[in-house]
Amino acid sequence: MMDGESRGNFTRSGIPVKDFYQPADHTNGASEPPGSFPFTRGRRANAVAKGGWIQRTLSGEGDAKRSNELFRYIVGKGGTGLDVIGDSPTQSMIDGDHPLAVNSVGTQGVSLATGDDYRELLADIPLENISISFSAPALFAVSGLEIVAKERAVPLNRLRGSTILVPLYCEDVTYAIGMPFEARTRMSSDVIEYCAREMPRFHAFIEDTYYFSESGLNAVEEMALGFIEIRHLVREVLKRGIDIDSFAPRIAILVNCSMDFFEEIAKIRATRRLFAKMIRDEFGAKDPRSWSVVITSHTSGLTLTAQQLPNNIVRGTTQALALVLAGAHAIEVSAFDEALRAPSEQAHLVALRTQQIIEAETGVSKVVDPLGGSYYVEALTDEMEKRIRAMVEEIEARGEPSKLSDSGWFRAFFEEKMQRYQSQIDSGENVVVGVNAFQLPPAEDTLLRDVSETKIAPCRERIEALRQFRASRDLNRTRASLMKLRDRVLEGNNLVPAVIEATQAKATMGEMAGVIRQAYGFPYDPHGVVQPLI
Amino acid sequence: MPNGRVVIGTMGMDQHELGAIAVARILRDAGMEVVYAGRFNTPHSLVRIAVDEDADVIGVSCHSWEYVQYIPELLRLLEEFDAEASVVLGGSVITTADAEMMKHEGVAAVFLSGASSEEIVSGISALVRDRQERLATATL
Repeated sequence: MMDGESRGNFTRSGIPVKDFYQPADHTNGASEPPGSFPFTRGRRANAVAKGGWIQRTLSGEGDAKRSNELFRYIVGKGGTGLDVIGDSPTQSMIDGDHPLAVNSVGTQGVSLATGDDYRELLADIPLENISISFSAPALFAVSGLEIVAKERAVPLNRLRGSTILVPLYCEDVTYAIGMPFEARTRMSSDVIEYCAREMPRFHAFIEDTYYFSESGLNAVEEMALGFIEIRHLVREVLKRGIDIDSFAPRIAILVNCSMDFFEEIAKIRATRRLFAKMIRDEFGAKDPRSWSVVITSHTSGLTLTAQQLPNNIVRGTTQALALVLAGAHAIEVSAFDEALRAPSEQAHLVALRTQQIIEAETGVSKVVDPLGGSYYVEALTDEMEKRIRAMVEEIEARGEPSKLSDSGWFRAFFEEKMQRYQSQIDSGENVVVGVNAFQLPPAEDTLLRDVSETKIAPCRERIEALRQFRASRDLNRTRASLMKLRDRVLEGNNLVPAVIEATQAKATMGEMAGVIRQAYGFPYDPHGVVQPLI
Repeated sequence: MPNGRVVIGTMGMDQHELGAIAVARILRDAGMEVVYAGRFNTPHSLVRIAVDEDADVIGVSCHSWEYVQYIPELLRLLEEFDAEASVVLGGSVITTADAEMMKHEGVAAVFLSGASSEEIVSGISALVRDRQERLATATL
């Protein structure tokens, strides 16, 4: 790097960029066809002919019944997948009637705590045809889904969808659940193991790099931490004597897609290649289906601005196009009002239409990996692969993830990146239109403003409903099921069957999570308010 | 205590800490003393910290709508405890209309998404000066 080179000559991850690229610039570029090892160019050789990628919109608000109405609206508009997001108490594994949840219950997602909630949430949704992704605690979401499927006689092996896992980082940067590293890793491994046996088409192992990269990580850091987590979980599951090929085909990575167009495409191509080499050569997977990882994605919420809201539609479109060119398997476009609120119905529809226009009108998905062979994209893919691998090696050399987590190393890593992100915008090093460049006075910044002013009020009736639910159950049966769950935690057995049983016995998620916390020597209620039931 | 003491935190289940951590650092760099109250605060916990620490300003970082319900309670409690601290808000979810509403409720300043570090520091410094002048007058 020569002194005096402008920022414009680097990618967002700091990779130097030349004025133009030539054949000599990539050495091990992808010459194999798509659908072949190491899958840089995509999982399959045939272009998506009909139906396209899975087009999701993230949704959920209020209680399960209200969210179900929203889901039926989305399915009716042609959505082929649902992305259920839990509200912040649910994500944090406390119930909607917890005192600290009083102003957040049902506002940024749906409040889910009981078996009845899952029954209402999924009512009239064709579970055989619609892929359901849960942005909610995996252990409880999978249990709820199984209960509903069995009651409706839908074979478990027909269920498609996913549930996210970020056990290594959730206390540091996403929703804190008040559990130690060991418990978090164990719950994730339990869900992966259970689904490998019972729900073979369901992606129980979604490495969610989206969540933690929203704290301002660049593309290399995002994928390095993602691979750290995947490697840790794979090792944990292998320790249980589970065959790698029984769960590896269903590993997926939910990546972020930020604004650096070619770097994001290169990131996804490099990730497929790194994954293929790792799972085959390091973990010994023999089934070719294990080698090609599914990439799903959300466009970046962090890049959306509260200023000049229509600009966010342009950002979402640009990012979605990058994802389609990179061969993402499922895409969710973050809604244009996301900087200000949980997405409105109108913004959801724009997000869905964005994908439909790209698919139906632009023709970009007629050819697999249309950028394959581009000197620049191949060179950038090689460089991303090299840098991600180097960072994984560097972090793993620092010690076990459990040690790094306990010592606060991850936390410090995230804080540093948050700070960097903020200062790059403050200094103008990163140009964000409408924020530090090309601003509009507030009086003129009115387009689409009305949509973003409406708020979702806390779903207070949910608090009363949960109280009634607790009052109407057979408390002895509930207590017995919670004691059994505690025993399972202590014995080291898979927790999914015990959670299903306790849910059937009308234990709530908060109660079950509390029992798990206690069994690990942590407080039942991380906020010290709610008393244990057993 | 010439530069001021500021309590910074988020409330309820609002767990997006990016803004709070960034602002805490900006204020420290400007020479202020920051009491970082972290996540999961309630109006009670913030008022208790502000009183115990004799804070000039309470800064609440808002990335969910919970603040709309919590702030009036926070202001009422401050009055009840006779605490002189000013309340300032910052965060991406606050719209210009809501900022006006909050100021009407008694919030001293609101920093919307895109506010520069200079604006935040000078706005909070002014509130610190006001309080210290009020206290000085009261003890005369």
